Amino acid sequence: MHKLMMGLARTLAIIGGIVLSALILLTCVSILGRLLNGVFHSDFMESIAPGFSRWAISMGVGPVNGDFELVEAGVAFAIFCFLPLCQITAGHASVDILTNSFPKGVNRFLRMVIEIVFAAVLILIAWKLFDGMISKRQYGETTFLLQFPIWWAYALSFVASLAAAVVGLYMAGVRIYEFFTGRILVWDGMEAGH
Amino acid sequence: MTALEIGIASFPALMALIFLRVPIGLAMFLVGLVGLVWVTDGTQVAFARLKNETYTTFSSYSLTIVPMFLLMGHFATLGGMSNALFKAAEGWLGHKRGGVAMASIGACAGFGAICGSSLATAATMGRVALPELKQYGYAGGFSTATLAAGGTLGILIPPSVVLVIYAILTEQNIAKLFLAAFIPGILAAVGYVIAISIYVRLYPESAGTRPPVPYAERFAALLQVWPVLLVFSLVVGGIYLGWFTPTEGAAVGAFGTGVIAFFNGGLTRATLADSFIVTARSTAMIFFIVLGAGFYNGFLALTQVPQELSNYVVSQGFSPWVVLALILCFYLIFGCLMDSLSMILLTIPIFFPVISAMDFNLISLTAMQAEAAMDVLNSGVPEGMGAEMLASIQEAIATGTELTREQMKELGIRVTRGMANRIEAEHVAIWFGILVLIVVEVGLITPPVGMNLFIINAMDRSTRMIETYKAVLFFVASDIIRVIILVAFPAITLFLLPG
Repeated sequence: MHKLMMGLARTLAIIGGIVLSALILLTCVSILGRLLNGVFHSDFMESIAPGFSRWAISMGVGPVNGDFELVEAGVAFAIFCFLPLCQITAGHASVDILTNSFPKGVNRFLRMVIEIVFAAVLILIAWKLFDGMISKRQYGETTFLLQFPIWWAYALSFVASLAAAVVGLYMAGVRIYEFFTGRILVWDGMEAGH
Repeated sequence: MTALEIGIASFPALMALIFLRVPIGLAMFLVGLVGLVWVTDGTQVAFARLKNETYTTFSSYSLTIVPMFLLMGHFATLGGMSNALFKAAEGWLGHKRGGVAMASIGACAGFGAICGSSLATAATMGRVALPELKQYGYAGGFSTATLAAGGTLGILIPPSVVLVIYAILTEQNIAKLFLAAFIPGILAAVGYVIAISIYVRLYPESAGTRPPVPYAERFAALLQVWPVLLVFSLVVGGIYLGWFTPTEGAAVGAFGTGVIAFFNGGLTRATLADSFIVTARSTAMIFFIVLGAGFYNGFLALTQVPQELSNYVVSQGFSPWVVLALILCFYLIFGCLMDSLSMILLTIPIFFPVISAMDFNLISLTAMQAEAAMDVLNSGVPEGMGAEMLASIQEAIATGTELTREQMKELGIRVTRGMANRIEAEHVAIWFGILVLIVVEVGLITPPVGMNLFIINAMDRSTRMIETYKAVLFFVASDIIRVIILVAFPAITLFLLPG
């Protein structure tokens, strides 16, 4: 089970990473296009190579149209893809200075409650994201430049948020098991080194 | 309870949750959610917000910088840049007393210029420099303290993830904040080097020595550093010159370091997947905090707590400098307990309105007018200006009185109080941001719970924590002296800004 969930989280994280890299490339291409477009529009190029400049511009040398719309949609998806990994590796930032002095049992109890609440929040987020997707679809909202329906982006993010909710539920199960058996399956970030 | 009371009560509730080890993002999210439901009498408003808020937070174009900079830092390590930086600095400084430690600081500063995170800088440079420090006979606690302090340069020297978040929260220009962080960052490195030289003078046995390396080798090592210089100047220079937006700059940086890492043979399928995994974990952590903070701050704004607080502080007539000092002390203490990003997301929406309402007099209207007037007069008295008018203008400049509208019209300049106030507001915001960034970072190396101390100490099992604690106090002292200097002389932070 842990292998399966870990595999899911890692796969999603890598998919998110690939999307992020694609966005980085897209942004760089767009900058390059914009710079070159500026060069071809410059007086200098107009005078020494007018035909070539016009050809290059007509071939579409310029910034990628609506690049930031793609970046926004893509990065939202990527970050939803990153969430399950953070969840399953207990990577969320927390303050343990006080709880370190609590007895182990109390800590296990706290951790169980927190993880159950966290799972509930992740389910709430996925559920509301679904509602958001439905209303975007009803109103037929599209992006400004590329005119693609915004609900597509919501739908992608929703799929990833669903995975986050599933992993969240699994982690809640893990913490419940840990509380009742006293065997720790997943160590927290700082504890791992000690 | 009134909305205001609920807002005020939410703060201790939040603190209690955080100290019970509820993840900070989750704690803010929960308190924001419950508070919103309470204040608006039902789940309707809160759930309606939730429909779009997660998506819009995660899809924020300016926040895209964060995963890009994180990825860039990993690529830089894979490309051997951390090694190259240390080798170069060590070649030039290593033979001095305490020189290898100084070189570590220099390498951290260099790595900070291509990495936006403090913990990542500390961890990366720790792996490179700790073995070398040990080899040259540097004491354990001294070495770990040096690297923990050096790590904070990662976030002071631009690019910096925390500054990006601050800029978004306070609606300031990211490029200007990066620029303003530059000199304080250099000062920090210099201050740490001074701390090292004092330390080795007091405890000469804590540092070994070695013969100097030949100059040919030093220059060869320096030559290896060019990728760092290239990437840094492209990213920060490009953003500053307006070639691209900060987000685009981050993309260029990540792409550039990726290419370098690929050609150095550091980027393979396995290491690429690893960098995705590490980036994914920190990115998700950061964005969840941003999400929770957005929710909590939305609720807080609804209860009017930030306005009421700033009204209250202003009405009490406290000196702005006292208020600033108190806020910085607060950060210094809480920075020891919480990570810097959470601190900033949690407190800036509350403190920033207070600071904005204060009058620090960083900008003087009369000085701005005098400067503009002198510019005109130095290139010759404008045609048709009477001698009487000229004399009155000169007198106004000499006595430091405000120019009248007529005088400015004759000069052909326009410098109004509104303009001065706008610049003042921007300067205060930037200056405050840099100060907060520094004090929060001091928390990372303040015993007993500074995060950098843990990270570095975990790498060197033979050194006891208490030894690190002792040595790091020298660096903390250097930090505190620097904060005092930067508070007393705002110009150090602000003078690089375009006028």
